[in-house]
Amino acid sequence: MAKKNARDSRIWLSIQKEKKEKRKYVLISCASLLTFLLIWELCTDILKLAPSYAMPSPLKVFRSFVAKLYQTAPDGSTLPVHIGVSVYTALLGFLMGAVIGSPLGILMAWFKTLDRIVKPVFDVLRPIPPIAWIPIMLVVLGIGTASKVAVIFMASFVPCVINAYSGIKQTNEVHIWVGKTFGASRSQLLFRVAIPTAMPMIFTGIKVSLGASWMALVAAELLASSSGLGYMIQIARSVGRADIIIVGMLMIGVISMLFSAALEYLERRFVKGVK
Amino acid sequence: MENRIVVKCKNVGKTFIQGKEENEVLKGVNLAIKEEEFVVLFGLAETGKTTLLNLIAGLEPVTEGTIEVNDEIVDGPKPNRGMVYQTTSLFPWLTVLGNVEFGPAVQGIKKTERRKKAQYYIDLVGLSGFEKTYPIKLSGGMKQRVGIARAYCNEPKVILMDEPFGHLDAQTRYLMEEEIERICAKEKRTVIFVTNNIEEAVYLADRILVLSDKPSHIVKEYQIDLPRPRNITAKEFLRLRKEITDFVERSAGEVDG
Amino acid sequence: MAGPEEVFALICKYFIEPVGRTTLFGHIGASLGRVLIGYSIASLAGVTLGLAMGYSKTVRAIAAPLFNIVRPIPAVAWIPMTILWLGIGEAAKIFIIFIGGFANTVINSMSGVRTVDPVLIGAAQLLGASKWQTFRRVILPSSFPYVFAGLQISLSGSWMSVLAAEMVSSHEGVGWLIITGMNNANTAQIMAGMIPIGVVGFILVSLMRWIEKKLCAWNDRSR
Repeated sequence: MAKKNARDSRIWLSIQKEKKEKRKYVLISCASLLTFLLIWELCTDILKLAPSYAMPSPLKVFRSFVAKLYQTAPDGSTLPVHIGVSVYTALLGFLMGAVIGSPLGILMAWFKTLDRIVKPVFDVLRPIPPIAWIPIMLVVLGIGTASKVAVIFMASFVPCVINAYSGIKQTNEVHIWVGKTFGASRSQLLFRVAIPTAMPMIFTGIKVSLGASWMALVAAELLASSSGLGYMIQIARSVGRADIIIVGMLMIGVISMLFSAALEYLERRFVKGVK
Repeated sequence: MENRIVVKCKNVGKTFIQGKEENEVLKGVNLAIKEEEFVVLFGLAETGKTTLLNLIAGLEPVTEGTIEVNDEIVDGPKPNRGMVYQTTSLFPWLTVLGNVEFGPAVQGIKKTERRKKAQYYIDLVGLSGFEKTYPIKLSGGMKQRVGIARAYCNEPKVILMDEPFGHLDAQTRYLMEEEIERICAKEKRTVIFVTNNIEEAVYLADRILVLSDKPSHIVKEYQIDLPRPRNITAKEFLRLRKEITDFVERSAGEVDG
Repeated sequence: MAGPEEVFALICKYFIEPVGRTTLFGHIGASLGRVLIGYSIASLAGVTLGLAMGYSKTVRAIAAPLFNIVRPIPAVAWIPMTILWLGIGEAAKIFIIFIGGFANTVINSMSGVRTVDPVLIGAAQLLGASKWQTFRRVILPSSFPYVFAGLQISLSGSWMSVLAAEMVSSHEGVGWLIITGMNNANTAQIMAGMIPIGVVGFILVSLMRWIEKKLCAWNDRSR
């Protein structure tokens, strides 16, 4: 009996120690963030080390964020409208790129003739960063949703194709042999062996695409647009409203995080056999 | 001097705690190992063989009891113990030579001196000519040879071998057992060798310690006095092998029944 | 839209005759020079912070919250703020390039340290390595492939950011070339800028791969 108690208390002590350890690091993290905000506040509102047009205080940023939820000044729309426009445009271009790109990559890897025809085009397109497409799209398609969607399409299309392509190419030969021994047809091999094997890679491509799409969108909105988060921070710069720039940057970051979280959730749901 | 005790375990126990699960792996382990003795720790899968080795190495703390190596209580890894691992633990970014001279190098031994030493042990394990090769280019058996040379080159008091041939194919395994026999005949050291292969145990050991199921402790001890190098088909060898096999099967059966 | 011959002829012409302040070589050189500075700073700072965050729980606890807020903001979104702080000169462009390369270097260096095989650390300690020797001789080389992967990604990121920075404001560089093409509605000039951008990007990536092959001959990945 006494022995059992000794053992229980040992477990209890070890759990307590673990908890304490975890709490310690959470505390350090909170303290670090708070210290940062305090120093920021100290340098701006209290010591006034930087002019407020260049470096607003954290409180000011927060107030601007709340105000921007319903105010349209200085750029003509409220924050939710800008977010809506940006997310809509980005998703439109991204979905087109992913829906066309991933299957094309799969087909390229599966059919040699198609591979031979399309691959050289890709080798040329691949190293061109999506941002470099902005000027040509603006000239050809004009300022508006179409040109932005086209830029985002390029940003998401290329990584989708490349990842789907190398995913299929990585299919384990042994799996194909196993499939053949069981008498699978060529299309069965593709749908039941090659594509499931390539799924993690295809998803990697989609994740890379979404990140690239979002960045390309912000760039396109910075250069030529009349709404969206990129436009909002560009206008805020021209009128010297750093508080709105920071609100915009944080929103861009938050949405980017939400996008990746959503894709990670989908990946866990649909990609079987990994982790 | 021959009979000085180098490794001493007094009532050693080890319990792993993970979340709310408590896993008592070792309990009441007592052993004493003499200088230049080749001791085999024998146990079936899932017994605490590797854990006991890690405790002696100082890679993990004991929960109960004490371990002394060279009259010093173990409280962390120290170069007076050398380890040969089950899977390769070679530094992949170093060549064979770099791996073997790692110990002397971190202890600040001069380049010419440590090169000479490393070369001696590389030759001893039969890897002459592979000094500049990276581990990735070596076969499983060759990697284990490097591991052995690396442990020996540091000149530890005790060498711990954790199923070093467990992942090798049968043919290579026989060959490596003969190699260990040859190396140990040439470079006498205190060795603690972990295995779950009875033939290997009888072939190599001066003394076999049999570990029980979890929580493991030593249930039986066999002194092997056969002349070396041993013949695995000799009558006496086979008799010992059978005796140990019977004992292990009987004690495993007791738990099942 | 300009045809291929027209674009090719224009590229050849730009190599000899200046566009704006300098020839195509000059523009490429200007962009590469900026990338070199910004990327070097990003690499140095990123690897240091990443290794420290991977090695020490305390450093990670301090730096992680801020880093995680800043990380998902793409480099282009920093442009307006940077102009407000640093104006439109070289410093602003180098800062954008720095941002474009920093985050990936940190993340990869950090995960490099965190994925070191604990058996190797134990082995080194048993062979007599001190804490510092274990870091320098085991943790550092073992995380090197990760660090290098991060450096490769961030070089692409930096190259992309220099375009963005130059497109927003500059007097020379490949970004300037395509943006003036846009302002003059000259598709031939835009494409004459895009092709060198792609080629230089390709050369940079190949160069990094080649260096990796040389430096990580011991590693599985480059076999």
